[in-house]
Amino acid sequence: MAKSQDEIVVEDPAAPAGDSPAVASTRAVDIVVSLLLLAFAGVLAFDNWRTGMGWDATGPQAGYFPFYLSVILAAASVWGLAKELFARGQASASFVTRAQLRRVLQVFVPTLLFCLFTQWLGLYVASFLLIAGFMVLVGRIAAWKSLLTAFLFSLAMFVTFEIAFDVIMPKGPIESLFGR
Amino acid sequence: MKFAKWSTLALFALTAAPALAWEPSKPVEIVVAAGAGGASDQMARMMQAAIQKNNLMKQPMVVSLKGGASGAEALIYMKSGAGDPHKVLIAYSLIYMLPLSAKIPFNWRELTPVSVIALDQFVLWDNTTLPHKSVKEFIAAAKGANPPFKMGGTGSKREDHVLTVFLEKRTGAKFAYLPYKSGGEAATQLVGNHTQSNVNNPSENLEVWRAGQVRALCVFDKERMQYKSKVTDAMSWNDVPTCKEEGIDVQYLMLRAMFLPGKVAPEQTAFYVDLFRKLTQTSEYKDYMEKQALKPVFLTGKSMLDFLEEDDALNKNLMTEAGFVAN
Amino acid sequence: MEAFGLLVYGFSVLLTWKILALMMVGLVLGIFVGVLPGLGGPNGVAILLPLTFTMDPTSAIVMLSCIYWGALFGGAITSILFNIPGEAWSVATTFDGYPMAQQGKAAEALTAAFTSSFIGSLVAVLLITFLAPGIASFALRFGPPEFFAVYLLTFCSFVGLGREEKHKTIISMALGLLLAGVGMDTVSGQLRMTFGFDELLRGINFLVAVIGLFGISEILLTMEERLALRGHAASISLRVVLKVWKEMPRYWVTLLRSSAIGCWLGITPGGAIAASFMSYNLAKRFSKDKESFGKGRIEGVFAPETAAHASGTSALLPMLALGIPGSGTAAILLGGLMVWGLNPGPLLFVEHKGFVWGLIASMYLGNVVGLILVLTTVPIFAAVLRVPFSAIAPMIVVSCAIGAYAIQNAMFDIWLMLLFGVVGYVFKKIGIPLAPFTLALVLGNRAEDSFRLSMIGSGGDMRVFWSNGLVGSITTLALVLLLWPLIGGAFGRMRSAFARKTATGTADVR
Repeated sequence: MAKSQDEIVVEDPAAPAGDSPAVASTRAVDIVVSLLLLAFAGVLAFDNWRTGMGWDATGPQAGYFPFYLSVILAAASVWGLAKELFARGQASASFVTRAQLRRVLQVFVPTLLFCLFTQWLGLYVASFLLIAGFMVLVGRIAAWKSLLTAFLFSLAMFVTFEIAFDVIMPKGPIESLFGR
Repeated sequence: MKFAKWSTLALFALTAAPALAWEPSKPVEIVVAAGAGGASDQMARMMQAAIQKNNLMKQPMVVSLKGGASGAEALIYMKSGAGDPHKVLIAYSLIYMLPLSAKIPFNWRELTPVSVIALDQFVLWDNTTLPHKSVKEFIAAAKGANPPFKMGGTGSKREDHVLTVFLEKRTGAKFAYLPYKSGGEAATQLVGNHTQSNVNNPSENLEVWRAGQVRALCVFDKERMQYKSKVTDAMSWNDVPTCKEEGIDVQYLMLRAMFLPGKVAPEQTAFYVDLFRKLTQTSEYKDYMEKQALKPVFLTGKSMLDFLEEDDALNKNLMTEAGFVAN
Repeated sequence: MEAFGLLVYGFSVLLTWKILALMMVGLVLGIFVGVLPGLGGPNGVAILLPLTFTMDPTSAIVMLSCIYWGALFGGAITSILFNIPGEAWSVATTFDGYPMAQQGKAAEALTAAFTSSFIGSLVAVLLITFLAPGIASFALRFGPPEFFAVYLLTFCSFVGLGREEKHKTIISMALGLLLAGVGMDTVSGQLRMTFGFDELLRGINFLVAVIGLFGISEILLTMEERLALRGHAASISLRVVLKVWKEMPRYWVTLLRSSAIGCWLGITPGGAIAASFMSYNLAKRFSKDKESFGKGRIEGVFAPETAAHASGTSALLPMLALGIPGSGTAAILLGGLMVWGLNPGPLLFVEHKGFVWGLIASMYLGNVVGLILVLTTVPIFAAVLRVPFSAIAPMIVVSCAIGAYAIQNAMFDIWLMLLFGVVGYVFKKIGIPLAPFTLALVLGNRAEDSFRLSMIGSGGDMRVFWSNGLVGSITTLALVLLLWPLIGGAFGRMRSAFARKTATGTADVR
């Protein structure tokens, strides 16, 4: 308390409401994840069985450890599944509320688009678009501040990686205009 | 001061060069299909230093290690870089062997051969603390050993493994082959007595040989190595007998060659042929060849292609006979 | 006291203005590359290596090793402030460092990290100085069974520790081990679990997974809560520094234990990653207050940082003495040595005394100068927290993508990072712990290889893991640690029965 003047507190006006309805319960997600892991374990077990999961003259074959690990993974998933299915009585906590999900998507969707744009337009253009877009649309920061920040950050990255350190990043048509 | 001298040289080279010749416009990547510190990596670093010190190229060279999946990563990387003249692969026998043993979708004919810059030797080594002093004694001991002698090497179903199989076939001795991740690891494991022998390249065992920790039994070549200056207190590379002299007729030489990705323009290939030819004339290259006991050669164009086809057929035979070809 | 004389000689090689200036440049560059996520020590040193080709070997190694020290210090910064480990071995630092930063104790956490790094490195350098010749031959005693025993010990020190449900720890570890096996199997030369995809040939890179699991998922989680951030302005670094230093002696056991683990795993190339996890777990296990770990306990920063840096430093010893790099960065320095015409090996200590002892002396100087440098820059880095989250978040995403891409120049890795980000988000929310997963992903392959090499060597006889005193005692120690919950539980029950506590009286064995 004594040092409260040193505290940095950045408030968030758009914080999610606390009373938003749950989209899914933790138990439901737990069950879905267990099922996915079970399926994954099945696929890997099959592949390793094909590779060879025996123990020959020179010790275990290539598929030996992965095969039994898939079995262990499957067993643990089944255990988790059973536990969730039979755990009646107590109400499960909420995994994510509608308001929270909206906010998570607000950052996930731009990140997904950023990855797509990186593939098409190169990393630097994509990074400019991501930062500027995110600051304006989600952070509600003034457009000129956002554009300037995004431009300076992308430029700094470009200078650091492409010019100073010769680390080659994915680039698109705009960089090739400048002969890079 | 040095810098001034070089820049004058560079200026001179610049004005002397034909006006329209192609030159790299960005840093050139030397792609190494092995881990850090291995023979390929050492060679790439030597080339990087020699090219930079002698100012053979305006753009810098960057070593890029792509040793994942026993080097397959580098092959796939080169294959996918078709048309990009800023990547050169420093290749060795894996270009023939990996597609056979692991069914990697790769064929060296999809790349553009630039030049063969050296041939590498293989030597049979054992630990100096073991009692046998010659190949004959070693083989006799290996035949009687139970559990069998352990032979260290790099990777599975590759040059070291093939040599071990042929050693077994020609002598009747049995070895337990231990595939390590790099030649350096095989060397230290031999020094630590965790294996009885290995078939490392001279460069990989050089330092432990000089320290008197390992013994060079014989070299897998038709003739002895040519370098006569003393490497250890008592021996030069030339003092190591050939395995044939010692009654084991197994020979194997491994190429060290440079490749560009496929679909590059002829003038781009020409630039690199010229670059590597100049490289082989530098004192750094010559010192390196002598120190690491490599055979200096320079093949390009038609003679290189002939060499590659012949070498490919040879390696395919060896792999088939050793039973390493995946079906 | 031969070592002391040689060390003085080493300092005499160092103390020229030119070399001191190169040290400063190296440290600043190092901190910089350490802070940029994904660049980190090995990449930074690799990128800057060509700069040194025209220098003499001693200046070159001093500058490069200072980049290395700088990167070691810098790696802690992003772990603590953003929960993004700049280096693999900083993962364990995030467990308590990041909660501390969230509680407004960023400056304390950073000071703790830097100071304990310094102590770890110092212990390791002392060890290098006095034990160099003897340790080289000790490292040679490590064959496949010994390596496997060390990996086993690392895994066993992990199982049965977490607060999480057991089956979730098992899921996490099994998944990590499975993904570690993707790609080429070194022992048989066969491909496995690639399903015909070229992109999977090289396997799943550990750093890509970590950047996704920790960096991206953290942004998703933070976003879900609120965009509000609490940080500490850290304007009075000297007071904070002194406060942390005053607290340090209380944790001398942790510091000593972590240094020992670090040195040991650095010399026997078990690696800084294993060292940091192992010493974090041991600190937690032996603590009276296990509950507070993971919630911003300063000891949880001391332990992994000390061990990671002790191990990062001592990794240079096998590199110089044997030519076996104990870490990724050491491997690149090894490449550098060869470019300068020096061949690492036992003879290096005889033939190039000036070089070797100059390097060792530079470890002392570099660490002292580095500590002062990072401590004075703490306010600058802590102030980053002032920037609004909606500006920082996309920048972190971009940095993560750059980091993920730069490791192997593969666009595929950016997609993989995104996938791991989602996985990390879901796993964190349903309580599947991420630490066993990351550990398994790093060590899984090496553990499997060393096990299989042991089997080839022994003809399939398991007794090879008790075939000599060294491997036998490590294996036994591993099994004891694995069964510790049972043993400790029995002890606890006896104690509580004796003390006639409550009827339920079972000791808490988490």
